[in-house]
Amino acid sequence: MSHGTSPDAAASLADAEVRALLELRAERLRRPRPAPDDDRLLWAAEFPIGDERYAIPLDSLRAAVPLRMVTPVPLSPPHLIGILRFQGQVVSALSLSALLGGRGWRDDPAVLLVVDPGIGRLIALDCEQIPKPVALPLGAVESARAQSMGPSVGLTLPSGARLHLLELRRLIGRMAHAGQP
Amino acid sequence: MSDPVRDPELDPLLAQLLAGFVDEAEEIAARLTLHLLELERRGGGRAFDDLARGLHTLKGSAATLGLDALSQLAHRMEDALLPLRGRSGPLPGPIADALLRSLDAFLAQLRHLAGRAAEGRDLAAAHELLAQAEQAVASAPVEPVRTDVAWRAHALRPRESPRAEPARPRAEPLAEPRAEPGRVRAQQEITPAPRPLAEPAPLAEAPRAKLSEPPAPGSEPPAPRGFDPEAPRSSEDGWRVGAAQVTGLLQEAERLRELRLRIDERRREVDRALALLNQLGPRPETAEARSQLITSSRALGADSEEAADVLASLEEGLKSITTLPIRTVLEPLRRAVRDLCRAQGKEARLAVVGAEVSLDRRVLEGLRAPLLHLVRNAVDHGLELPAAREAAGKHREGAITVRVEQQGNMLFLEIADDGRGLDVTAIRAAALQRGIATEAELAQLNDAQLQQLIFRPNLTTRTEVTQLSGRGVGLDVARTQLLALRGQIEAQSVPGQGTRFLLTLPADLGSSPVLVLRVGEQQFGLPMAAIESSCAARARDLRAGHGRMQLVHREQLIPLHDLGALLGLRQPATPADGAPLLILLRNGLRIGLAVDEVVGDKELFIRALPPEVRELATWQGAATLARGELVLVLRPDWIGQAIAEGPRAAAAGKRALVVDDSLTARAIHRSALESGGWSVHTAASGEQALEQLRASGAARYDVLVADIGMVPMDGLALTRAIRQSPAGRALPIILVSALDGEADRARGEASGADSFLSKRDCASGRLLHEVTAVLARRKGSA
Repeated sequence: MSHGTSPDAAASLADAEVRALLELRAERLRRPRPAPDDDRLLWAAEFPIGDERYAIPLDSLRAAVPLRMVTPVPLSPPHLIGILRFQGQVVSALSLSALLGGRGWRDDPAVLLVVDPGIGRLIALDCEQIPKPVALPLGAVESARAQSMGPSVGLTLPSGARLHLLELRRLIGRMAHAGQP
Repeated sequence: MSDPVRDPELDPLLAQLLAGFVDEAEEIAARLTLHLLELERRGGGRAFDDLARGLHTLKGSAATLGLDALSQLAHRMEDALLPLRGRSGPLPGPIADALLRSLDAFLAQLRHLAGRAAEGRDLAAAHELLAQAEQAVASAPVEPVRTDVAWRAHALRPRESPRAEPARPRAEPLAEPRAEPGRVRAQQEITPAPRPLAEPAPLAEAPRAKLSEPPAPGSEPPAPRGFDPEAPRSSEDGWRVGAAQVTGLLQEAERLRELRLRIDERRREVDRALALLNQLGPRPETAEARSQLITSSRALGADSEEAADVLASLEEGLKSITTLPIRTVLEPLRRAVRDLCRAQGKEARLAVVGAEVSLDRRVLEGLRAPLLHLVRNAVDHGLELPAAREAAGKHREGAITVRVEQQGNMLFLEIADDGRGLDVTAIRAAALQRGIATEAELAQLNDAQLQQLIFRPNLTTRTEVTQLSGRGVGLDVARTQLLALRGQIEAQSVPGQGTRFLLTLPADLGSSPVLVLRVGEQQFGLPMAAIESSCAARARDLRAGHGRMQLVHREQLIPLHDLGALLGLRQPATPADGAPLLILLRNGLRIGLAVDEVVGDKELFIRALPPEVRELATWQGAATLARGELVLVLRPDWIGQAIAEGPRAAAAGKRALVVDDSLTARAIHRSALESGGWSVHTAASGEQALEQLRASGAARYDVLVADIGMVPMDGLALTRAIRQSPAGRALPIILVSALDGEADRARGEASGADSFLSKRDCASGRLLHEVTAVLARRKGSA
């Protein structure tokens, strides 16, 4: 005895399987995708100060300009390198190394990072090299932030390297409060 | 009254002021018309006060320009209005109507005088109209509320054709205008109201409608806010442009400046590429590339220059659109002081300091009336009669001084007189009498607080109302207008010595004359107002001794100071023959100031500094020069303070000269050394350091810290150059390098340096330690 299935029925069954398979695929495509990895990362701009690596959140970075555009200000506190014009504003250029208490530098900074520290105006920080973008695990950042009240947050990256994420608002706040670093 | 516009002796400035007053008066009249309509409908204290202020402003401004008839008409309008202050209910219709038509007459006559209308108005008819309205109100004090807009429309039309209304009562001939409009008259006899208008006196060329009756149906809608649509406008009228549009253009100019800087940067990059190619020597395969780069560099240079020209032209145009010198407001005050003194038998001299500051036109217009009020107030209330001044041991001629200073984006104005000062007892009594404050409230106030009560509406210490004072309006006007400009006003007074009014207001636009000068490698600005004169140094005029310098100036010895030393940039140095010297006048004392070069005087917009720098007393602000560079502008007051405190270097024990072409390195070395009690001067190159050592002497420094990797003169060459002189051989030198190999150290020591440090060593705190060690070794070997 045959299977009792006619060719038409077999074809119909095959169509149904195909339709089910396609339906399954469509259903799979309709499902919301898992959140991309970027959502769990904090993008930062990383640069060296002496032998250590520092970073600032990338969304606070407005521009990198040559340091020679700065006008020195006589009789100013040592952490103030000078002032510069940026997009019509007069902006303070600050020595990051001096703000951090002179943690060393290897090459004379040639770049100023114009940043928005979230205090309603821009400031500029000196930098030895043009920074590179780096993705930091947000969970680790938040955890480190919760344990630190200082102007920088120490992070250990998955590679094992250490990096200091600068908290710009705290850094400026500390400078304003103390009058100098 | 003479026609000032057609007066052949009229100077162009006055003509410009008159044209400005027409615009101002039209705006004020438009606002007052709205207030009158509202007051007639509903009453209201705020509108009443603003109306009173507006009339006061019209009166004062007209008087300043010598338009006495208009000033008297405005005063007459005040007379009609102010007795109704505090009255409940709407403004009586006859008064509102008379005021509106008088405003029309005021504007029509003003336009005529300014050459904007062929025919003027006889203001006598307006005086009569106001008198008639007062009589009408006196006979029927409470006027029913008028809501008939059509009637008001008729009343507002200034040049309507005469309308025959035979069935209505006709006007009786009006009396002559009052002989003494400056005084409040006695209450006139009450006569039945309404009294119609006079037969075709010039004012009556306009509406013939009676005060109490509406016009015929179908009359034209009201002209808006007292504006005369038929008034011919000047052929020079331009476009009306919003402030946001002009601000947008200013921002575009700023973008253009930054674009030009970027062009310069690209040119430098091309030049660097060319230099790299040149290092390879003249090779045929690079010839075309070099030629192309040379062409590009020249083209970029030309583009940059053209962009600079366009930018300068654009900025000049924008400046002329948005700003005017403050003298356009201050100069007319002289006339006001003169006329007022003549009228009151007083003598006074008005001195203006800082009149060259240019300000946002909007701010200037807003300042015109407050300044006028304050200066008139100084003459009327402040200055005593000559005999009384002499009896009090003062010069018979009173002094009124207006000082203007722009600091960053703030404008400071001071109006000071040396008169009798504010009478706090009288202010207290007036405040009590007029219900401005209770006994208990007054008891809580000290003298300074009581003095501020003079800005309250309706407060006056005068018992008699005159053309000038007695209504308690003028200072309220000044304060209100300052508030409208986001500013503030404060009075300070010392009995018997005078009164100062301090006005502070933001000035986001505007420019000040600044002398740009050079000290060392850097340019600075100094407000021209601080500089009395300049001269070239001559050895025979200089006296040096006991650590200070003096200059023979106009047969007197005055102190002479080196600006570079005051700024902590270098040791004080005696100016070379021919070096520029500036003579400053501060608080009556002359000071000589030595600089390296006077670059020139410029009209600069002084910007506010960021908070990190703003707290430094040295700097007033920063300005942008044509090529985009920022120049710091000195605060003249600071120079006097710095001289009193003595140069920084002289106060400190040990002195260091840091030489590094890196701003950061200089900042960090300075920080380290200052933390050890050192006084630090800096130089940005080897050549600059040698120049500083030559000018002040190597012996003036206790140590020199120099970077090796500078161009063109590196630290090694600098050291060798210094060591050529005996004084230079005695100077301890520490070389610093980004490299820290043995070979680098050996090269450093071979050049004659005392020590060698890597930059990493410096940053880790070894600089101060090494300096101490080097000094100890030198001392030990000696």
